Amino acid sequence: MALINVTDGAQAKLTLGNTAPDSDGLITNGLVVPFVQDITVNATPGTVRYSTLDSTSSSAFTTVNENSISLNLLVDEQIMFGNAALTTNSVALNGLFDTSVSKEEIFFSVAITGTGTTGDINITGKGFIGGLAPTASIEGAVFLSPCELIVNGELTKNVES
Amino acid sequence: MAIRDDLITQITTNLSSYTNFKVSSELPFDSGGNSLYLKNKRTVYVDDLSEEQIQLYRTIDQGTVYQTQTIVEAFLTVDAKNQPTDIEDVIQAILNAKSVVTDTQSNEAIVASDIEDDYVTYTFEYTILKT
Repeated sequence: MALINVTDGAQAKLTLGNTAPDSDGLITNGLVVPFVQDITVNATPGTVRYSTLDSTSSSAFTTVNENSISLNLLVDEQIMFGNAALTTNSVALNGLFDTSVSKEEIFFSVAITGTGTTGDINITGKGFIGGLAPTASIEGAVFLSPCELIVNGELTKNVES
Repeated sequence: MAIRDDLITQITTNLSSYTNFKVSSELPFDSGGNSLYLKNKRTVYVDDLSEEQIQLYRTIDQGTVYQTQTIVEAFLTVDAKNQPTDIEDVIQAILNAKSVVTDTQSNEAIVASDIEDDYVTYTFEYTILKT
């Protein structure tokens, strides 16, 4: 057993792109989202509960998975609003805000244990950017925003080889 | 030092109409173990600043946003028995100098008084928060 320590800055990295990840789960020309305060991978099977006359407790069956990635980040100007120089990745080019507005489907990879080393684990998928709500206050000094990736389809675990 | 210099300049400006009061930029302001503001009544002495960096945000990729808290003290001594008639206005003018520092999250100033023998010493504390 081993806990996944995220304190050296190499783990829990979110990468976004407009091309599908390779077999290792890596996205070519991917945009690594900086200044993430926390990130949550939500892998949730849908369930329906029902009751029967012969049981005092309810039963359940599963329906489709409802997956999402949620995070909170400090707003970087180029990440949120785009960098005209990064033409190979439309997410980097247009920024999170415009990509959300245009409802463009994007690909993502969440590096769980880091990247670049054999055995590193990541979780990939595709979906839509939502939940942006940039907030500023004088006490907070900088813009903060939540963000949610609404996953279209299944999450996939990959192990780098 | 810029914040201290700015405060001295603003206090000097704010006290320009109170001709019985002066502002000194001298550092250190003691002589033979005695503070000069006890000797030179009606002169405002501004101490060197102290700074503290406070971690405001920490991100997973080791990004850090710091908040800098700067504290500057100033001192003014006047006769306790025969206080200047305009001392309240002078105190307000010195407190108001806090606003000279810009691009801040907060500018606060407080004053405390301490009576000893026949004089009263006002200690002003400016607290500036910047990110």
